[in-house]
Amino acid sequence: MPEKTIREMSEQERKRHSLASRVFHSTIIGSIILGITALLIGLGMFSYSLVDQYISEGFSLSENALHILERTVDIEPLSEAVMQEYRALRAADENTAYDQERFSSFAEREDYRTICSVMSEYLNFDQVEFVYLAMYDENTSSMVYIADPDDSEEHMMPGEWESVSKEGMQRFLNWDGTGRLYEIDKTEKYGWLCTTGVPFRGSDGEIKAFVLTDVSLANVVNGMKSFFWQYTAGVFLIMNLFGYLLIQRMKKTLVGPINAISQAAQDYVKDRREGNDVEDHFSSLNIKTGDEIENLSLVMSDMERDLAEHEEDLTRVTAEKERINTELSLANRIQTDMLPNIYPAFPEYPEFDIYAYSKPAREVGGDFYDYFLIDQDHLCMVMADVSGKGIPAALFMMASKIILSNNAMMNIRPSEILKNTNDLICSNNREEMFVTVWLGILEISTGKITAANAGHEYPAVMHENGRFGLIRDKHGFVIGGVSGLEYSDYEIDMKPGSKLFLYTDGVTEAADAASELFGTDRMLDALNSEPDADAMKLIKNIHDSISGFCGDTEQSDDITMLCLEYKGKEEMRDESEPHRQK
Amino acid sequence: MLNINKSTDGSKLTVALEGRLDTNTSPDLETSLQESMDGITELVLDLEKLDYISSAGLRVLLAAHKIMSKQGSMKVIHVNTTVMEIFEITGFLDILTVE
Repeated sequence: MPEKTIREMSEQERKRHSLASRVFHSTIIGSIILGITALLIGLGMFSYSLVDQYISEGFSLSENALHILERTVDIEPLSEAVMQEYRALRAADENTAYDQERFSSFAEREDYRTICSVMSEYLNFDQVEFVYLAMYDENTSSMVYIADPDDSEEHMMPGEWESVSKEGMQRFLNWDGTGRLYEIDKTEKYGWLCTTGVPFRGSDGEIKAFVLTDVSLANVVNGMKSFFWQYTAGVFLIMNLFGYLLIQRMKKTLVGPINAISQAAQDYVKDRREGNDVEDHFSSLNIKTGDEIENLSLVMSDMERDLAEHEEDLTRVTAEKERINTELSLANRIQTDMLPNIYPAFPEYPEFDIYAYSKPAREVGGDFYDYFLIDQDHLCMVMADVSGKGIPAALFMMASKIILSNNAMMNIRPSEILKNTNDLICSNNREEMFVTVWLGILEISTGKITAANAGHEYPAVMHENGRFGLIRDKHGFVIGGVSGLEYSDYEIDMKPGSKLFLYTDGVTEAADAASELFGTDRMLDALNSEPDADAMKLIKNIHDSISGFCGDTEQSDDITMLCLEYKGKEEMRDESEPHRQK
Repeated sequence: MLNINKSTDGSKLTVALEGRLDTNTSPDLETSLQESMDGITELVLDLEKLDYISSAGLRVLLAAHKIMSKQGSMKVIHVNTTVMEIFEITGFLDILTVE
């Protein structure tokens, strides 16, 4: 599936792409992880400090009780007596049960009652479950009750015992007097209990009993539970508040501006497509976040301005090009119309037929042909090629054509026409341009051509023998090169049926894809393929031959051709073609 | 394509041309010659490897010829038959010093 563009997305799909909700989600997840960590640490610290406090209280309570007891009564005899009786009972059989009869006498003793009454005072303290006097018996790993002031159902008689862990017992018995002596256990009856103890040493320095205080840790557990719920509720509340504020802030500083830029970009594209001329999509945003987003909006605004400028330039350049193209095509029409191009050219003269063709390589060219009557009996023909191509050549061609025809109308010889033209052009030719010219004047009545050649291609002539051949005529220098040059005339005697073919180097130097030139041989072959054809057909044959030779290769030079077919006067035709019946 | 190889020997500049000197390449030769013709009294154009010369190329030769006729001399050497024929047709043979 190809990705959808933002324009194709529904509102819901866009929401999924919302930066705000993504940040919200990640903030919530982060907060939860952070909250749980803080909760665990908090719970640990809370319970540790509470338990520590309870231990301290229990321990000092035990110390206190012992202190009072020591002042009030001698514990040693009772403890010794109970332990002796206990050992005696357990010595026979470890698994023997408690014998109430055997120990009941201890409860009657005066010292027992005093001890109980002192210790019972301590039962009223908060969290204190039990305060009692007991001793450990190492042999049976048991704690033996000596005096328990509790008068509830849980009351323990002297000599009653409970099994204890060996490690706990050893810790109590071997206590060095530093720190606090305590043990935390989970009991089935009372839940979590913390037992703190202070040993009582007899006259021989041996431990005779422990004052033990049991403190219930139920409050700690309950406290932890309520702490957990309060904490969770608090964190949840803060998290939501924080998340909400964060989203509001994000919307203001991040999402809002980004959406504005994105909307501006969409509007920009839309307006561009619909051709609306709005130029301040981005520059009117006015985003002042002072961060990358503001930079982005500035960059976009710059881009919009640059694009607008670029477009303006492009429009101007295009308009300029358009104008130049229009002018060029106009120039092309003017140039084309400057050359005689209505056929038949001289329908009133049956003595000859003339046809010419010119195709510039660009819009305008430097080649030109011309033919015009100087008087009733003289036809002037010009074939010329200006150096270079395009507009410079075209301008030079126009000037050359007019100067040549003006001179020709003065009824002077071709060599003089060329000389006058050359001198005039050379007098003001800073660009060193030149033009090759073949100029000939046909005496219509006799068929005699007087011609002069200023650096132009050899003309091709077909005489009665029926084949075209080049005339290696006397060449002068090109016109426009060096002033003061002389040109010489020569004559071509045209018989009825003779044909003259003039051309520019665009014909002989037309190149194919491999840069091979068309050449004069191919040109003559094309002419001689159908030498009896009329002027127009001959030129068409050459044109087709060049097209076939060059293929798709672009025409690189102007191509210009002129063909004169001399038919002579009617009586001359009779002379030259005696076989034809009048 | 046209390769222009210039070598200077004092005030003598020899320019060997290789390829085609036509409308597209003649501006290169014109610029190249303009750059190095200051103080040159003898300009030699070696056309041995020049395959083709168009009227635009002839124009550059004519311009060079005119400049050199004021400040010294110019000659064209090793002209091959193709180029020679063009020189003949255009009458350049009568104007240029060809050896």
